[in-house]
Amino acid sequence: MQTTVPKNRRGYLGALALILVIVGLYWGLIHAPPDAYQGNAQRIMYLHIPSILTAYLSFFLVFVGSCLYLWKREKRDDILAYSAAEIGVLFTALTIVEGSIWGKPTWGVWWTWDARLTLTAILLLIFVGYLMLRSLIEEESRAASAAAILGIIGFLDIPLIHMSVYWWRTLHQPPSILRPDKAPWDNIHPAMLTALAINFFAFVLLYFYLLSLRFRLGEMTEEIKTRRMDRGR
Amino acid sequence: METWGYVFLAYGIVWGALLLYLFSLKRRFRRAEMEVAELSSAEELQKHAQK
Repeated sequence: MQTTVPKNRRGYLGALALILVIVGLYWGLIHAPPDAYQGNAQRIMYLHIPSILTAYLSFFLVFVGSCLYLWKREKRDDILAYSAAEIGVLFTALTIVEGSIWGKPTWGVWWTWDARLTLTAILLLIFVGYLMLRSLIEEESRAASAAAILGIIGFLDIPLIHMSVYWWRTLHQPPSILRPDKAPWDNIHPAMLTALAINFFAFVLLYFYLLSLRFRLGEMTEEIKTRRMDRGR
Repeated sequence: METWGYVFLAYGIVWGALLLYLFSLKRRFRRAEMEVAELSSAEELQKHAQK
């Protein structure tokens, strides 16, 4: 098996992600003005929005990898889904923590059983279950198939999360950027929009750096298993 | 707590958790690389012994 991202290219990706993270921190914490209503607490949004969008991207890759695995039965697709699920869980957990810390000064509570918050917590639980399922079933191909089915079902929660603010009366506000009636630059201060964009690209680059490492780790783990079995014969 | 306190708490947790995950991933990665190298050298030795 061969890695999709060569080692030197992975290094460039990591370096680029680091630069963008530093620029993003500067824009988010220093350059962007405080919000007229929320004050400095709004700066948490420069983490919150990029991390949930990165989590969505990750679970989309779980969905793609799972569908391909069930169709073609190629180990690479399963490794992709498994790797993306692990990192997706991390980004979803961070989204909930950031949201909770932002919620306290803004809403006055750390947590509320709002439709969007609850559906995001369900998404996290589904993918924690996905990771647990893989270690609970001993036979590898069965574990991969069961996890693939759960990965596909789990991904279906994302459109529900996105639409929840329209379908139910929620405390969580509707989107500020992806609004059908207004362009983002008509709705947000340009410095805030830039801070958000930089942090979003920083998170995406960091995500692909982590994914390339985790995917290669999955490939090596598979290689070790196969070679050990060959030696045992 | 002032709102800056919440901001630093959020940024601290996020970047702390991401760094922790990166370090743990790198550690697992290096261990796997070492294991692959060990297996390769053991296979080489086995080949030489068979010759």
